[in-house]
Amino acid sequence: MTGRLEDKVAIVTGGASGIGRAICQRFAGEGAKVVVADRNIAGAEETLALMGATPDDASLVEVNISDSLQVERMVNDAVKQFGRLDILINGAAILIRTPDLVDVDEVLWDLTMETNVKGVFLCCKYAIPAMTANGGGSIVNISSMSGVRGVGYSVPYAVSKAGVIHLTTVAASQYTSQGVRINCIAPGGVDTPQMRGSTASAEAFAGRNEGHPMGRVGTADEIANLVLWLASDEASYVSGSTYIIDGGAWAGAR
Amino acid sequence: MDKLIDIASRAVADYGFRQAVLYGAADIARKWELSEEEAALLSGPVLAELSALPIPVQPADVPAEQARVSDVIRGLASK
Repeated sequence: MTGRLEDKVAIVTGGASGIGRAICQRFAGEGAKVVVADRNIAGAEETLALMGATPDDASLVEVNISDSLQVERMVNDAVKQFGRLDILINGAAILIRTPDLVDVDEVLWDLTMETNVKGVFLCCKYAIPAMTANGGGSIVNISSMSGVRGVGYSVPYAVSKAGVIHLTTVAASQYTSQGVRINCIAPGGVDTPQMRGSTASAEAFAGRNEGHPMGRVGTADEIANLVLWLASDEASYVSGSTYIIDGGAWAGAR
Repeated sequence: MDKLIDIASRAVADYGFRQAVLYGAADIARKWELSEEEAALLSGPVLAELSALPIPVQPADVPAEQARVSDVIRGLASK
């Protein structure tokens, strides 16, 4: 099936790599006009090239999502260039490993919260009015299973991702009635540059596959498939929900 | 230069922190209250060193990489 996002305009933060890149590619393949937003410009340019998009179909914006002026400009520029905003994917995040809570540096806590929570808040804050001005839209926030389980390798990351889940719930309670569907996904382990970079060795990475109910971690394309559905009109009755996508790992853990 | 060396060492050991430094050096400099000299080193030669690191840095190689990057910083600071 193609054309599921025909004539839709989407902003994808964190579009320079991993899940964000896969979403950009998937959206472009389904007919969306995509704004690839990231601080990593070289990576965002690679994403644009992989999308095979023309300047009429896609653009790139360098943005620090914790800076309100930059976020406001990102949204305004998208509307100016493409005439509307239908979809926002909040994929940008940072994951810094920390020791247990009492030994976490305050500065790492602040850095993580600024990007992972404040950044999502600001993107929603400026995107929602642009969506309601045009009859509505769809927001998909990328959380993590770290925000569901008590995963301990990064205290601020886990707490920030739990915050993204609740931000989704609160925002959906306020804006679903105005035509903006707001949902969240919580991926488990996914084969991304972040995961490979954070895993000590090839052997350790392979070890993450073992013991998984499916014998492997997920792919970014598999995550993009769920995001596509939530962003599309096929999910027209879905709002305020968080979808775990982890190949059954959480179910198995219980 | 201790704060800059600490930042660089952490970035060597932690891919996620390295990404935060590579794409947000100004934020890192501000949050860690680096001096102008330290901030300039971070956004220039230190970023170049960090971006050239293998992914991932193998655990056994982390101490040597941290020592090497620290030496680079000390060498630049003494100029």
